[in-house]
Amino acid sequence: MPDVIVMGGLNTSLLIGMQALEATQGALDATSNNIANANTPGYTREVAQFSENAETVSGSGVSGGGVTLVGLQSVRDELLNLQIQQQTSQQSSADTQSSVLQQIQSYFSTSNGGDIASAFSGFSTSLSQLSANPSSSAAQQGVLSAGQNLANAFKSAANGLTSAQSTANGQVTQTVAQINTLTSQIGQLNSQLSQLTAAGQNGGTIQDQRDELVQQLSTLTGVSVTQNSDGETITTGNGTPLVMGGQSFTLQTTTGSDGMQHVLDSNGTDITASLQGGQLGGAIQVRDQVISGLSTQLNSLASQFVTAFNAAQAQGFDSNGNPGQNFFSVPANASDAASGLSVALTDPSQVAISSDGSAGSNGNITNLSAALTNALPSGQTAAAAYSSIVFQVGNSAANASAQSTAIGLNLQQLTNQQGSVSAVDTNEEATNLLRFQTAYEAAARIISTIQQLNTITLNMGTSGGY
Amino acid sequence: MTTAGDQDRESKAAEYLQSLRSMTDELERAMQAIARNALTDFEESIDSQQVLSARLARLADDLCVPLEAQPAIARPQMDEDMMRQIRAADDTLQQLNRRYAALLQHSSRSVALMASFFSSFQGQFQEASGPRSKHQTWSCQM
Repeated sequence: MPDVIVMGGLNTSLLIGMQALEATQGALDATSNNIANANTPGYTREVAQFSENAETVSGSGVSGGGVTLVGLQSVRDELLNLQIQQQTSQQSSADTQSSVLQQIQSYFSTSNGGDIASAFSGFSTSLSQLSANPSSSAAQQGVLSAGQNLANAFKSAANGLTSAQSTANGQVTQTVAQINTLTSQIGQLNSQLSQLTAAGQNGGTIQDQRDELVQQLSTLTGVSVTQNSDGETITTGNGTPLVMGGQSFTLQTTTGSDGMQHVLDSNGTDITASLQGGQLGGAIQVRDQVISGLSTQLNSLASQFVTAFNAAQAQGFDSNGNPGQNFFSVPANASDAASGLSVALTDPSQVAISSDGSAGSNGNITNLSAALTNALPSGQTAAAAYSSIVFQVGNSAANASAQSTAIGLNLQQLTNQQGSVSAVDTNEEATNLLRFQTAYEAAARIISTIQQLNTITLNMGTSGGY
Repeated sequence: MTTAGDQDRESKAAEYLQSLRSMTDELERAMQAIARNALTDFEESIDSQQVLSARLARLADDLCVPLEAQPAIARPQMDEDMMRQIRAADDTLQQLNRRYAALLQHSSRSVALMASFFSSFQGQFQEASGPRSKHQTWSCQM
């Protein structure tokens, strides 16, 4: 390549243009050679890379120095590598969440009949039967048993959530230990690589080993990788250092005030909330956000329903003519409402179905039933509030699964793009990328149409004419 | 007794069902095309999806004429089996659509990054139009 000649005006522009053409020709030559040797065993692809030449200063004006061919392909590959690392992290996070959410789904399934929706239905049926036969001991016992089933269903769902949260919590500790092992190994490889480079030797094998470890690290947590003279610097997504040249920084775990494992950086700062991506980010997100949110809603439902039903009991009288006592009891701690829900009554005759204390009266059944059919303080009936929780569990699980599959396909695309010899033609690749973007815009409109079709299809045969 | 109106609806319902299934196949095809980085296949699938999308919207409009708008005697009988099949096909399509949307979201970002890289790279060859104009290179744009 010719040296940059400091000349003003048109000459400088022409020189820049000529350099650019030479650079492009070099890239095309390399591409042709790559294509010709695509099937040659042992052939190593040649790369075309460009760098900006030094600018030229002329009087008060500054002009650019043009471009020199150095190696475009490697820059493109670095960008793709970065994308692959990020997508790997995200897929790993989605997989972790999907796995835990599938575990939760089983506790909210109606297939075994022991779920909260079935228990609400059974409780409602038992009240109807008691209303028809207010003096029947069997019907009174039926209400008590159905109440017990409801309490058990809440307990089972709450324990299921706790168990899933515990699984995710365990993953946090395990993953942090794996991260520390990997960062220590990467630091050692950085040191070796630095020594080899200083001695003028080829460190290709060690570089490959390091890349493999970085790839493994990105499945454990989201990382940011930058190159510098000492080797690679690896940080978490929020900038917490994990490896700087030959030095690695150990993460620690400690039990927080919430009873969960928290992640601390090497200075002892809690970085749990800022960790994203990978198994660690996925476990933390599902543990602290998804499951926590579901638990809060379940506890709120249990607490509000119990308050409403006990209030209805208090409005009536039991079979012995005594004022109605609390039917259910919940612990004082609101976060234990679902897991600690139990039936307080010990005798079937204590169900307060009578409105005036007279034997055979069923006057209070309206109030008792209303606790099931009227809106709770949340604005929804008990059944609707529970349906909403079930929908969220299903939706979160389906989303995590869809994300994982989709990222897998995107990773295939990136790998294909990386391995494509013909893609060295930058103009063609740039044009193709624009065509992809145009097609994506059209696809987005179709996705929206399909989503709208769902509502229409669900209405067919109900409000619709089919 | 089956009326001409019933037969027309049955025919449209069958076409709707078939179109839902065809759209499912097309989404699958489009996702595989993206994964293979096969642009032409992807574009062809998008064209097919647009045709199917228009057909589905038209059929949905025809099939969802409110019952109240029709005289009681002319109201078609509900074909439970057909409705079951349509809902099942729609469920499958919605699940795939969710995955397709996620793929487009991730892939769009990758493609936009690469497009930005190439667009910046091509800028190197443009004529300088003033002082410091060459300071904008692919590296600082990224």
